[in-house]
Amino acid sequence: MKNVLTVAANTFREAVRDRVLYNLVVFALLMIAAAIFVGQISIGIEQSIIVSLGLTAISVIGLFIAVFIGVGLVSKEMDKRTLYALLAKPLERWQFLLGKFFGLVLTLAVNTAAMGIGLFLALWVVKHPLEKVDLYVFVAVYLILLKLALIVALALLFSCFTTQFLAILFTAMLYVAGVFAAGLRTMQGVNLPSSTTAMLHGISYVLPNFENFNVMAAVAHGAGVPGSMVLYATAYAVVYGAVVLATAAMVFSRRDLK
Amino acid sequence: MNRRALGGLALCIVVVLGLAGVWKLQQKIDSEKRAMHLDWDDLALRSGNLVKGLSLEYAPLMGAIYWTRAVQYFGEKHQLHDRNVELLWPLLDIATTLDPHLLVAYRFGAIFLGDAPPRGAGQPDLAVRLLERGLKENPEYWRFYQDLGNVYYFDKKEYAKASDAFRKGSSYPGAPIWMKVMAAKIAEEGESLETSYFLWKQVFDTATDPQIKKNADTHLKLLSAQLAMREIDQLAADYETRTGRHASHLGQLVQAGLLQGIPLDPEGYPYVLGKDGKAELSGESPLMEQQQVLQKKLQP
Repeated sequence: MKNVLTVAANTFREAVRDRVLYNLVVFALLMIAAAIFVGQISIGIEQSIIVSLGLTAISVIGLFIAVFIGVGLVSKEMDKRTLYALLAKPLERWQFLLGKFFGLVLTLAVNTAAMGIGLFLALWVVKHPLEKVDLYVFVAVYLILLKLALIVALALLFSCFTTQFLAILFTAMLYVAGVFAAGLRTMQGVNLPSSTTAMLHGISYVLPNFENFNVMAAVAHGAGVPGSMVLYATAYAVVYGAVVLATAAMVFSRRDLK
Repeated sequence: MNRRALGGLALCIVVVLGLAGVWKLQQKIDSEKRAMHLDWDDLALRSGNLVKGLSLEYAPLMGAIYWTRAVQYFGEKHQLHDRNVELLWPLLDIATTLDPHLLVAYRFGAIFLGDAPPRGAGQPDLAVRLLERGLKENPEYWRFYQDLGNVYYFDKKEYAKASDAFRKGSSYPGAPIWMKVMAAKIAEEGESLETSYFLWKQVFDTATDPQIKKNADTHLKLLSAQLAMREIDQLAADYETRTGRHASHLGQLVQAGLLQGIPLDPEGYPYVLGKDGKAELSGESPLMEQQQVLQKKLQP
């Protein structure tokens, strides 16, 4: 466990050194601009726009970090040949992989938390006093973080057996497919053979369902998110993430690094 | 068994158990979402022109994606018996703005919008608006007049406008002659079972989508049953004139020589006489369930 934490801490430090958190400036500017202009360009939906825009920005910025940095976590170490020095120490490959995963998730957690606070402040500017229900913004941010963690796990898995470019492509494609996973189960208006429908139904459960973490519409309209929903979504991310990371660890441990 | 094989086996177990867990959790999450009664499929951008601008040169592809989304949205709502289809019109609006020549979106979209609940959204005004836009963008496509006539006839009960739509459509080269006949017949009689039967027959004969065909087939069976029941009612009235009493069952009409045998509905179930002496569908007939919807639609 100590090894995993050491790798995670180093990964976080490296991300900070690489100026990954500079995106926070972009986000802050976006929120400030939105808070100033939203009241002038819309009527009655200021809260909805601020929350939707803020959560979308958090999700998109996080997505870029998760995919592009996630894919480079292993391959960068290999390209720079630092991986060989690391693995020569008493460090198992799976520990290295898990450490990298937690390091980037920690970076994303700091990033999304900071953006979440920024969003909350922007919401306070356009709508004060705030209500208790506005705190659900943080629930939405938390669920976005879970989604990003799952994407990091997928990016890591792909980077374990293919090139950086293909890993980015596969992760992006799986993300898009995962967003539409729920739609596969409800293709009632489309006439397909029953065997195809059954196959799509099965695939919809195997694909990572990223819509499970999307409560943007609910939060933007001032509705709450039940605790049980958050609990199940967390369990989903943990179980699915564990499966992906176990597979990644297995693939990485069998990879010929010579 | 060596370490490598053991590792592989352990991974298989983890993957299988994990996916089983994911399956179970997904069902829990789905039920939580349903319990929240929220339109999760919110539409961030409702302006077709804005989406078109953002789509760059890929607007037709985006149009197809939005149309698919509309079909999925409507299908999902239908499956969940959820009558709140607030997003159907914006989705169709965006799809047809992105690709004004997406004929299928106008035709099926008008059916989804115009049909009365639970089959459709019960928004015939929007169905008319969609078809009129379709005609504006595709003025050579006479079938939109057929669809417009159907919406005015079945959903809006505006027979003068229905007749006018069929008349306009009939003037197009290639348009079938029956459109002219329908224009005259509707102008003269308004709504009738025969006209309804004929219009649904046209839908049935020309539809390529199995679901639309099935819907038309159900309507045809019900209308056929209604036509038969109208004849039986006439025979029952004749029986009453002859004998001076109500017929209580169809066997009496057979015995009196008015019927060759007990007539069957299109699903093969015998008609029965109700307490008021009028012909009815058998309670066991699958058509019974559909009849209520059709009657609601036929009554002004």
